[in-house]
Amino acid sequence: MFKGGGEKKRLRPSYIRQQERFGFAMITPSMLFLFIMAAFPLIMLVGMSGFRIDLTYPAGNRWLGVSNYLQMVHDSRFMHALKVTAIYTVSTVFLQVVTGLALAMTFFRSFRGQGFLRVSVLLPMILAPVVVGLAFRTMIMTPQYGILDYIFMVLGFGSKPWLVDPQWALFSVIIIHTWQWTPFAFLVFLASLNALPADPLEAALMDARNSWQRFWHVILPMIRPAVVIVLIFRTMIALRAFAAIFSATGGGPGTATEILNLYTYRESFNSLNLGYGAALGTALLVITVVISMIFFRMRQSRM
Amino acid sequence: MAYRKMPAWLRGLRSGLVFSLYVFMILVWAFPVIWVILTSLKTRTEIFTLPPTIFFKPTIEHYIEVLLAQDILRGIINSLLVACGTTLFTLLIAVPAGYAFSRIRFPFRGRLSFFALLAQMAPPIGLIIPCFLILSRLRMLDTYGGLIAVHMTLTVPFSIWLMITYFQDLPPSLEEAALVDGVSPFNTFLKVVLPNVWGGVGVTAIFAFIESWNEFLYAVVLTGSKTKTAPVAIFGFLAAEESRWGPFTATGVMIMAPVIMVALVAQRQIVKGMTMGATKG
Repeated sequence: MFKGGGEKKRLRPSYIRQQERFGFAMITPSMLFLFIMAAFPLIMLVGMSGFRIDLTYPAGNRWLGVSNYLQMVHDSRFMHALKVTAIYTVSTVFLQVVTGLALAMTFFRSFRGQGFLRVSVLLPMILAPVVVGLAFRTMIMTPQYGILDYIFMVLGFGSKPWLVDPQWALFSVIIIHTWQWTPFAFLVFLASLNALPADPLEAALMDARNSWQRFWHVILPMIRPAVVIVLIFRTMIALRAFAAIFSATGGGPGTATEILNLYTYRESFNSLNLGYGAALGTALLVITVVISMIFFRMRQSRM
Repeated sequence: MAYRKMPAWLRGLRSGLVFSLYVFMILVWAFPVIWVILTSLKTRTEIFTLPPTIFFKPTIEHYIEVLLAQDILRGIINSLLVACGTTLFTLLIAVPAGYAFSRIRFPFRGRLSFFALLAQMAPPIGLIIPCFLILSRLRMLDTYGGLIAVHMTLTVPFSIWLMITYFQDLPPSLEEAALVDGVSPFNTFLKVVLPNVWGGVGVTAIFAFIESWNEFLYAVVLTGSKTKTAPVAIFGFLAAEESRWGPFTATGVMIMAPVIMVALVAQRQIVKGMTMGATKG
């Protein structure tokens, strides 16, 4: 149509303006939606945390300033929830990354029957967490009749107080989360191992003296971006965990498995104390933002 | 090949070990699901028989009981309405945004797409407290619209990002011919670009549907007797009585069935969509 290839590439100002207008028009609905339904509520959350908002006694609602936060600092249940959240998040993410990486390394190259394994590991991830939590609470971890407990008895380990004893309960909800989400780490690591360029990998593998060196000095540096991404994704999801714990233990026994999400939920929607609940929610928001900022730095500096 | 150096017996041992691990993995991850399905087909006495039976005469009595109890059937219908609504509206706003972010130049593009990423990280419990208050003021508690809008805060951000990666895979020359011929940008998007990413739109729709279908926290806070979804309804079973494993598993199977069927049909695409963002970095 025009004379040369170079002619086409030069953009006319009217074309640029048209593109800009079009671009804005295409993103406006979703950006508007996210602003109204996500950004605005989060600002409102921070605002709410300065009030006493008790739905059971609306007449007493008033501006409190920072006293919700002062209460929080002295709230031993909050401190306990923080501790449980930290244990839960760190251990589930660690277990997922290590197990996922070990399994991916095992099946990398010597991988037959891919489809069958892929469906099996896909299953837990697409199930409703509430069904997973309830299934573990009943048919899997019930003493004697639960299949896991039954297997333990048959193997001679004896029946275990999976969800009844405080320490076992925390261990069990960590296992449930790890069971449901290790497949994600496994699949991501497997995909990134398969995407590695073959020749440099072969050359480096020949140089390495033993399999431990092969892994530590050759493969791990190459898939580091994937490890960082899995860390980010899984930490964010672990910090959002709710339904599986809520249905498996309800935060109990006592408050043994009460992560910050559950405490915030109970305070807001069981005690209907929305002001203090909003302060707890704000604390969670701050924790999430700080952790994601650390991760963003990590990603930028390593890649 | 580093592994060629191994002696034959060691290689044989190695593949034997890998194979047993393979079987073990399938058992660990698929067995709980299979066990739920098996239990849903057992009679009440069979469920509590020790040692547990794998072969038995199946019964559908729990399914009949559950479907006759209005609560569960209604929950499933509600879940279906909410999940379909969420998927539809998510695609309507996220697909155009994904297209603009990946292929159109406009100011603040980087910042706005980063905002979409941030929205993904908002803690749900922090979001639901103000949303509960807003929706109760608007008298929208226990309505489909309210729950769909809140579910979309989960699905819109990741749908935009997923669509960006699918649009980026298209050749850069795709729109050029149409634009030179004077076709408007929107028509180019609709008639030239979109037909090339139906696969990606399908995967995004699957993810959005599953997310909304499985969602529990927002549903338990925002719904009442009218719009209670299936995950909320199933919770009611065991809250009332611990040992009703038959009806519980039957309901569980009905909640799992649609996503399992989708997973069987589209497993390749789902796994690719899940790992795509991570492997591209």
